Amino acid sequence: MSQHKLLFSPVTRLSGLLSVELTMDNTYISEADACCTMFRGYEYIMRNRHITDAVYLTQRICGICSTVHGAVASYLLDKIYDNDIEENAQYLRNIMLAADFLQNHIRHFYFFELPDYVIMPEQPPFLQQNCLDCRLDEEQNHRLAGNYIRAVKVTEQSHQILALFGGKAPHQHSFVHGGVAVAPTADKITQALALLRDIRDFAQRCLMPDTELIASCYDDYFHIGKTAGRFLSFGLFRFGEKNDNPLWKSGVLEDNQLTQPRLDLIQEDISHAWFQRTKWMNEAEPAPYKHGAYTWTKAVLYQGKHSEGGPLARMVINGYYTGGTSTMDRIVARSIETLMLTELMEEWLKKLQPGTPPIMQKKQIVTSQTIAVTDAMRGPLLHSALIQDEEVARYDIITPTGWNFSPKDDSGNRGPVEMALVGTHMYSPDLRYVIPGRIIRSFDPCISCATH
Amino acid sequence: MEYSDFLQLCDQYRLGNDYSLSAKILPVIRKFIDQPSKRKLPVIWLETSDSGDNNIAFMNTTYPYLHQVFTDMIDLLYSNTFMAAQGTDALNLLFESAKEFQGQYVLVVEGAIPTKDNGIYNVIARTKNGDITALDAVTYLGGMAQYVVAVGTCASFGGASSAAPNTTGSVGVSSVLNREVINVSGCPVNPDWFVGTLGHLIMYGKPELDNLGRPKLFYGNTVHRHCQRRSYFDKDDLAKNLGDMECMFSQGCVGPRTGSDCPYRQWINHVSWPVKVNTPCIGCTNQDFPDASTPFFKPLPEKSKGKQVDSQKASDKEKGEKHEPAQTTI
Repeated sequence: MSQHKLLFSPVTRLSGLLSVELTMDNTYISEADACCTMFRGYEYIMRNRHITDAVYLTQRICGICSTVHGAVASYLLDKIYDNDIEENAQYLRNIMLAADFLQNHIRHFYFFELPDYVIMPEQPPFLQQNCLDCRLDEEQNHRLAGNYIRAVKVTEQSHQILALFGGKAPHQHSFVHGGVAVAPTADKITQALALLRDIRDFAQRCLMPDTELIASCYDDYFHIGKTAGRFLSFGLFRFGEKNDNPLWKSGVLEDNQLTQPRLDLIQEDISHAWFQRTKWMNEAEPAPYKHGAYTWTKAVLYQGKHSEGGPLARMVINGYYTGGTSTMDRIVARSIETLMLTELMEEWLKKLQPGTPPIMQKKQIVTSQTIAVTDAMRGPLLHSALIQDEEVARYDIITPTGWNFSPKDDSGNRGPVEMALVGTHMYSPDLRYVIPGRIIRSFDPCISCATH
Repeated sequence: MEYSDFLQLCDQYRLGNDYSLSAKILPVIRKFIDQPSKRKLPVIWLETSDSGDNNIAFMNTTYPYLHQVFTDMIDLLYSNTFMAAQGTDALNLLFESAKEFQGQYVLVVEGAIPTKDNGIYNVIARTKNGDITALDAVTYLGGMAQYVVAVGTCASFGGASSAAPNTTGSVGVSSVLNREVINVSGCPVNPDWFVGTLGHLIMYGKPELDNLGRPKLFYGNTVHRHCQRRSYFDKDDLAKNLGDMECMFSQGCVGPRTGSDCPYRQWINHVSWPVKVNTPCIGCTNQDFPDASTPFFKPLPEKSKGKQVDSQKASDKEKGEKHEPAQTTI
């Protein structure tokens, strides 16, 4: 038996900077450390600023999922000011949020996942692709590589819908506390419906068949990269005057038991992260030289246990998907969600009533400490704030990739991605990056979010 | 080979029934194919301390679309986001490309550079010989590049990654390099500004830059100067709330001191921009963004002082200034 370390760095085709250190026991992965190697300090950056800055400033945490940070910050401010959200604003908010999901999911599948399974043209940025385990025939391969180019256009069109209502993307402007600053008008609705038609066609004619093809040619990946299957979702697409009615329900799923998530059971653990507790206020502060730590991501636990979030968790919790917890299950669930979103967006666009900008921002603060949650593209997202005279005293952010890329907790229990990697058979040394790369990417990692 | 030469060559061999024509032409064609393309720019793209939003903005480019940029404009030799290679294969590509195209490649940096604790807060790759920090990589690769392009406000000036209290000591790329850097700021960058800069480098060389190192073509005038709502401002007709149709100065607009062509250019296939959706410009292209732009929804005179690096910009804050000079003019 020989044991050795394998450093997988950088893990490319994802958002942010990630390295993974694998311990190999002969040809099996016996340990995995997911090292997120960037830190900016957004929780400090938020301090002493006006609380309404959160809507625009927290979007800067992430480029690929910015809208959802603005969304959860808006929900937070809606609570702080006790805003009532008009029906038009509810639809517009969810249309914008879903447009960003479409952008994210399709880009993830084609730009990030595809080169793991499909032979790409031998030109930059695809040089030195490892094609030793590419299993499609020539015709199939040609078709999917061609769809990479079609994905370029439809993802730009997804952001066009977002910009049409939000002013720009990433980092949209109109989805703010109190509603949406832009008027739904016939011209914008018509334009968005036409854009959506193209995206929906693509999802039906390319994304779904391409996903099915990859799932059938790589069906061994329904057994590779399994997790403990403890799923968590904060619910998605909030409706209601008080944002309290998510269309897709929240839940904690463990051993087939579905319960409602309780925010007081969430806890961060810094035992293997580059942080230490300050003596006063018991806060986490950066400690880049801390012994035994290996990442800028804090472990996050629900009732003392690691949990997995993302499209698979949402689809399973809401009963839209039944299957396992593997690499391919995560990929398939994301594609199914994409198609569902195109249908939902059409429904919402048609429910909009032309009128004035649906926004009403109250000025009186009713609470100085609150938490808001939603699901983001990759899983559960939480913002919480403590304010003093309208200024931020403390702002906490717990992101989806924080859950999925949790380092080990103080008892050494592994988070979802580390668990998915451990036990994997690396049957060929030539595939030493290919196999773990596929497992890791199926979580759609966003390290910018995870470390913030 | 010219077209006429080609015809002549074919003519010469028209009577031969063997393969002598192919034998004559193939080496010529091979030579042509093997010759490195003169038009395409070799590009090395480093993502450092930012949100990755400039990558996403780049993906949103329209005519040229992303695949057209890859096919016709640049050879993207290293990009954490797009490259098929991974692990040491990716890292080898980085260093081999830098060597092969030394003095010819464009180093694109997306993100600020943490400098505190030797830059340990941003590691672009780990190796058996130690970590490669963003600071190491940008210093090393920046020295061998033909051009260095900082894309986005973090790379240009530090941006949100260096916002107070700047725990990581982050700075813009030009602060760690002893050479000229072309700053294409914005949070994120508008893809037209970035792809337009690449186009300029390919066809006409270095664009004319303002005193902050940015192409004047895009940043030479203020948002305020070209704003569709300028007439409201001039009549002191100010919005009372977000969502109103009047001037957004009262709602925190930083347009009067922000160099950018957003009102003309707009975003995502040119469909909209922040003021068009009844919200303020937050000055995301500025050297002191975001600290001098917050509180975002308070009018300019009530904003925090920020870094206030540019006294001209500070004086532009005065409400009522008329044809404010672009911050690039002397």
